[in-house]
Amino acid sequence: MKLILSDRALNISIDNSSGTIQYIDLTQLNISNCTGCFGCWTKTPGKCVIRDDAVKVYPYIAQSDTLLYISRIKYGGYDTVMKTMLERSIPVQQPFIRLVNGETHHVQRDVALKKATIIAYGDIGSGERDVFKKLVARNAYNMNFDSYQVLFVREKELEQTVRMEVSKWEK
Amino acid sequence: MGKVMILNASPRAPRSNSKRYAEIFSKYDPSGCEYYNITKSNHKDLCAKIEAFSDVLFVFPLYVDGIPSTLLQFLKTLEDHAPRSKPVISVLINCGFIEWEQNDVAISMIKLFCGQNGYAFGSALSIGSGEAILDTPFKFLADKKIKKFAASIDKQKYGSFHTAMPLTKRVYINASTDYWIRYGKKNGITREQMESMKIE
Repeated sequence: MKLILSDRALNISIDNSSGTIQYIDLTQLNISNCTGCFGCWTKTPGKCVIRDDAVKVYPYIAQSDTLLYISRIKYGGYDTVMKTMLERSIPVQQPFIRLVNGETHHVQRDVALKKATIIAYGDIGSGERDVFKKLVARNAYNMNFDSYQVLFVREKELEQTVRMEVSKWEK
Repeated sequence: MGKVMILNASPRAPRSNSKRYAEIFSKYDPSGCEYYNITKSNHKDLCAKIEAFSDVLFVFPLYVDGIPSTLLQFLKTLEDHAPRSKPVISVLINCGFIEWEQNDVAISMIKLFCGQNGYAFGSALSIGSGEAILDTPFKFLADKKIKKFAASIDKQKYGSFHTAMPLTKRVYINASTDYWIRYGKKNGITREQMESMKIE
């Protein structure tokens, strides 16, 4: 399954004739902050105890083998909408820790290995780019990325960039 | 000698390890400090108080490799409600992994905020195995480092500090596994249930 997860509405048409592409506009969903309760690890493993729209999203994140994250960048990280969703995705991990490339990280539940593209948009300076690249390199360990690329674009170039990336999936 | 405002940006601030770290910091801060939890509704109130302090200390856990959404939201509010006099900003970050270096990206994010908004960055204390260390015989290591960290802010001789439990990764993983098994048991959940591969 291929997933497009965006922090803003996109004026693009997606050819989903194969039925394998899921597009989610996070601005249409009601997603509250993670409260750090550890319920998804120690009370209802694999399920968040906050039953809002986030619980519809993280199963798709887990299932996708190809994903496209689209997020505005703030202080070198994902801006609030995407960050809030990513924090609510921790039910896809177990509390237990394992070694990944010599570092300690959480064990994943049934999470597909991913080819990830992160489109970071906004007026992003070189300092922010450097930090964001380091962040995604860390995400790769914690989010089961087999490979990834980070694309920095201005907002006016965003939809065209998304179209180009999605068209590569159709080839 | 200035005065420190401690802001706890943990998503579970009232019952967080960050609160415990803040309490230890308070013990070692000779100038006295004021402690606040960042909540959903108090951002503007906190922004209004900031200019009375020479230093702000953010205490928070690493969250999905970066700063918690709670802190991100607060920083955005602070950007829109900047104090007339800007304090020096320091951070105390803990992560559940044993490598304190995993906190580096979050520290860089705070430095970016400081650079973009005209705040000086002060000291950073990065704690690995930070969810566990305070309940182990290695608590004294965290204590010792927080004492040095507090002194650096008090004397305005800012610097970078770090600590973690002095265990091999394999031993740390075993200890962490035991911790989570005990945690689940309190809720009537077995190790096998916590190891479920099912999502939703």
